[in-house]
Amino acid sequence: MFLGRIVGNVWSTVKWPELSGLKLLLVRPYALADLAAPPAPRAPTTELVVCADTLDAGVGDDVVIAYGHAARVAVSQTLGETERPSVPIDAAVVAVVDRIEVKTGD
Amino acid sequence: MIRGPVIGEVWATRKAPGLDGRKLVLVAVRGADRLTGRVVVAIDTIDARLGQEVTVSFGSGARNVLVPGPDNRGVLADAAVSVIIDGEG
Repeated sequence: MFLGRIVGNVWSTVKWPELSGLKLLLVRPYALADLAAPPAPRAPTTELVVCADTLDAGVGDDVVIAYGHAARVAVSQTLGETERPSVPIDAAVVAVVDRIEVKTGD
Repeated sequence: MIRGPVIGEVWATRKAPGLDGRKLVLVAVRGADRLTGRVVVAIDTIDARLGQEVTVSFGSGARNVLVPGPDNRGVLADAAVSVIIDGEG
């Protein structure tokens, strides 16, 4: 998992049927330098991650993102009774962060 | 797995049901001679403390930390603290 800030949304009309109704977000991962000087990510970053949202998170929220099978488990838990292991996502919001406490020694 | 120091903790009330009651810690990834700048969030079940050097297991390895055995496919975990390091050489 990683910590990130939501910086945008992604819309799509042509997509895998399993994805319909699923909101996609653009998330910028926090680097160590960002956590030393909160509240907003400032360090240069080379990647934005597209994540499925199941918690109604929005731009500006800090979130925890799970990767891989855990992301599909999170989506399965919220989208319906039946498990949807074939949903083609590998990153999902699993927590909307209230508080971050950091102490870096080195 | 990666290893590095526990540098903090994250709290959230709005979260996936599978994360209820889980403690989430921030671990800075250590490279050969310094921290790489990457930070991961890991589920902690072994009471890792701030500043302690730990390893974090990913994927099914993380699920095995939480629920050992073959029937843990439904467990929501992709990163978990697996070892608290005493020393290395």
